[in-house]
Amino acid sequence: MSDCDVIIIGAGHNGLVAASYLAKAGRKVIVLEKNAQAGGAAVSEEFFPGFKASTCAGGAGYLSEKVVADLKLAQHGLAIEPSDALVFVPQPDGSNLTIWRDVDRTAKEIEKFSAADAEAYPRFVEAMRPMAEAVESLLRITPPDLPDVGWEDLTSARTMAGPVWKIGRKQISQFLKTLPMPVADLLDEWFESDVVMGAIASSAVRDITWGPRESGTAYTLLYNWALSNTGLFRSSGGMQGGMGAITGAIARAAAAFGAEIRTDCPVSDILLEGGRAVGVRLASGESLKAPTLVSGADPRTTFTRLIHPSALDLTVVRHTRNIKYRGSAARVHLALADLPEITALAGGDTEALEGSVQIAPNMTYIQRAYDCTKYGEYAPHPYLDIEIPTLRDPGLAPEGRHIMSITAKYAPYALRSGSWEDHRENFGEAVLSALEVYMPKIRDAVLHREILLPVDLEERFGLPEGNGSHGDMTLDQFLHMRPLPGYAQYKSPVEGLYLCGAGAHPGGGVTGLPGHNAAREILRATG
Amino acid sequence: MTEQYDAIIIGGGHNGLTCAAYLAKAGRKVLVLEKRHLVGGAAVSEEIFPGFKFTVCSYVVSLLRPEVIRELELAKHGLHIMPLLSSFAPTADGDYLLTHPDESSNYHELRRHSKRDAETFPLFNQMMYEMAHAVKPILATVPPDPGAPGLSGLRDLNYLRKHVQGMDKKSFHWLTKMMTMSVSDFLDEWFETDILKALMALNGIIGTMLGPKSPGTAYVLLHHYMGELDGAFTAWGAQKGGTGGVSEAIASAARSYGAEIRCNAPVEQVLVKNGKAVGVVLENGDEIRSKVVASGCDPTVTFRKLVEEKELPSEVVSAIDNFKYRGSSGKVNLALDGIPKFSALGEGASAQCMAEICPSMDYLERAYDDAVYGGFSKRPFMDVEMPTANDPTMAPPGKHVMSIFVQYANYALEPYESRDAQRDAFGNAVVDTLAEFVPNLKDLILHKQVLTPWDIEQRIGLTEGNIFQGELTLDQLFFFRPVPGWSDYRTPIKNYYQCGSGTHPGGGITAGPGRLGALEILKDGQV
Repeated sequence: MSDCDVIIIGAGHNGLVAASYLAKAGRKVIVLEKNAQAGGAAVSEEFFPGFKASTCAGGAGYLSEKVVADLKLAQHGLAIEPSDALVFVPQPDGSNLTIWRDVDRTAKEIEKFSAADAEAYPRFVEAMRPMAEAVESLLRITPPDLPDVGWEDLTSARTMAGPVWKIGRKQISQFLKTLPMPVADLLDEWFESDVVMGAIASSAVRDITWGPRESGTAYTLLYNWALSNTGLFRSSGGMQGGMGAITGAIARAAAAFGAEIRTDCPVSDILLEGGRAVGVRLASGESLKAPTLVSGADPRTTFTRLIHPSALDLTVVRHTRNIKYRGSAARVHLALADLPEITALAGGDTEALEGSVQIAPNMTYIQRAYDCTKYGEYAPHPYLDIEIPTLRDPGLAPEGRHIMSITAKYAPYALRSGSWEDHRENFGEAVLSALEVYMPKIRDAVLHREILLPVDLEERFGLPEGNGSHGDMTLDQFLHMRPLPGYAQYKSPVEGLYLCGAGAHPGGGVTGLPGHNAAREILRATG
Repeated sequence: MTEQYDAIIIGGGHNGLTCAAYLAKAGRKVLVLEKRHLVGGAAVSEEIFPGFKFTVCSYVVSLLRPEVIRELELAKHGLHIMPLLSSFAPTADGDYLLTHPDESSNYHELRRHSKRDAETFPLFNQMMYEMAHAVKPILATVPPDPGAPGLSGLRDLNYLRKHVQGMDKKSFHWLTKMMTMSVSDFLDEWFETDILKALMALNGIIGTMLGPKSPGTAYVLLHHYMGELDGAFTAWGAQKGGTGGVSEAIASAARSYGAEIRCNAPVEQVLVKNGKAVGVVLENGDEIRSKVVASGCDPTVTFRKLVEEKELPSEVVSAIDNFKYRGSSGKVNLALDGIPKFSALGEGASAQCMAEICPSMDYLERAYDDAVYGGFSKRPFMDVEMPTANDPTMAPPGKHVMSIFVQYANYALEPYESRDAQRDAFGNAVVDTLAEFVPNLKDLILHKQVLTPWDIEQRIGLTEGNIFQGELTLDQLFFFRPVPGWSDYRTPIKNYYQCGSGTHPGGGITAGPGRLGALEILKDGQV
């Protein structure tokens, strides 16, 4: 006796997107969420009395346009307000570089650093855009089960080849060559200024473990480019109310389509019968049954905690164990009495700060910050990607106050020597010192700081090793290898169980695409 | 215009000689032009100090393609490769790992470090053997061109699809990992002993400006597993008389088929008339005509020095200018007054093997970090070979030669003021570091030759001193090598061909590019 058609574990944004599509198609769907509110890693929470921040995930502008349209999210309150500024990069000498939505305006900015780069920038954007478009359609496919490819896989527009053919025969080699490149090499082919390269390369590495010199980071640049709402490598703008407002809108859509979302309802394990998933047992002891189960949790959680590994094939267990998570970013939230002056911003016009403020004057700085993680150390001079959401949404803090939400890199999940508990405040100091270079009065303005290390993100959001992408976005964990080799079609090794989280293709970020693709496969498989 | 040849080969490196041998064997009238006083290019043995003979640049030969050995009957021409028996790798704490050629001794030595690794080792080798088998046909194939117009592009894609489809799933998944992962991550999935992983990782970094933790290096490991000696994969071998002996054997084969080899004959330019190569001009002004010209030099020399820019499409020019070399290795050759003694080993036990100074994975990575931003490793990785242990004729009685292959050394001059200062500092770092492991080393040194990447460039003509004629990174392999659209040994100039390591299958003493280049020349039927 089934309680519903589909049970979805986890009301993160992908679980909610999958629930919406399935409910929209007439399935009876129950979503089980362990926390008190839906949203997973995309939530807004009060971290200091009166101050509300996007605790874990940032980056509102990556939500797939198709998902927004299909689920009519605007009707449910989704309104992402783009800003003109994308990245503001102050320099130690008091100058700055701002990347704007407007390509020509950016080119003018770049002129301060290199005339040749200013001339190259519009051509670079033009050359990359078709590649980003090809990647965008690649993100919406179900990966082929390589090496089993048929002639159709190469030629059909619905499969892998479609997007690749789309960019045209002449560009195909260039496209294939670009994907595995280090973003540093890609940018090196176009630009000469380390400052300019740093302002672009950050978008490639913000969400993965690697530094810009690691191969495959050209792909992550294109990944962000493909999904961003600006036609550029970086998205822009936020939601009134922070990231939690986005998942709030998706949850309302899911409910409107008829899905039931139960919060405070942790799943303790998946029930198997004859090797087939048939339902879940809740922490409360209650069981729910359904012919189709969907896990929005990451693969390690799904295949080692929700299912006992002994029920799985050894190869699957080994592949699961070998997934590289490696969270390398901390989230630091600062409650500020006021917005301290930035020496590199003469005149105090804050328009340039409405996107991200990047503390990493150049690409070499970012790479050096990464180098530390190779030896299990945190960066003494971290690269910071800062959002100041209160500039456009003053309601997040008491009047006149501000918030800085910082993605601070690189901070490895585990330190080689010493424990994070001994170094937590040291890292916080390193973050403030890095800020102080550009905002000399920052320390006076800090009312409260909250440091969420990868280990904290793991505990609070169930993200193994604090990796927000449910597995690092590297080339060996891409396409037919994601989440597990041989199981990239959203089906899992367990019959009746599907995956719809960021651990599945195409991966991390608040995109909605894993949920979208998984729902498509589930509907296809279950008629 | 005095002579008429069917083919002129520029550069008497091992690939140029191989190309010449195949063309001559097919009955063509062939002339090889070598700028130096001896053939062999990077694979030469020279008497640098009276009585002491050195393999100056390259050092091991196991990558030589077996079909070349067979088809050119190289054994008849003096090819005599002796398997290297063991590798000896001291650790920082006075222990060591000594690998053995026979499985049982190897098991016992590995077991001393880890039982689990001792048991895994044969399984790993089996997997690598399967990988090498899977990739082998690709090595002996002219790369397809997925960007080729119309049907031929589709045909080439279909060829790839068929090859891929022939692989079993498990191998394909391993291959995906090998093509994309870092050698450090790849080995981490198999082994736990750091010194074992460090020793094995060497094959992933040799010849590249990448550290063991850089993604892409697992492929370089596989590349070095392609060697086959007597049908057995993976065995590195040493040629009697140094690697120069390999070049001499190929040269002897070429001559026996009627090829003419002229040394001290540097080529100034390729003669191009109406978009067709018609011969060459030597530096001394002599013109020599031929029906086709093939260059065994690296892509920069082939496309940017030997022909004028106006003969090439602009996209080819810029693609070649973006080709990455990044020479990373140097060589220190020592003439020694006696047998060097490793403190980790007892008396004289190390003479028969290669000693590898790679005490830990972090040591290798730090060596890379030191050099990647400029300069060289303060404590470099060293591959130490004593050819006199196998072949006493290379030094006067009782004396020895020691060839030390060193990484990493950056090609750029910075931060040094002169090349002499750079070379001295580099040589001192090598000897000082090695002396930590070989206490009597400094007392034995009679002569010392130090070659930085810049010296290798000056001496042999390899751009930036890259011994592979271009980095073996994913974006520079197969149909991207050297540039998309021109990976089939042809060039935009009719009757002008490539046959060096800058083409597929790449660097190392493989003779693959020379063979495939020759076969394409014959296929075109211009000679």
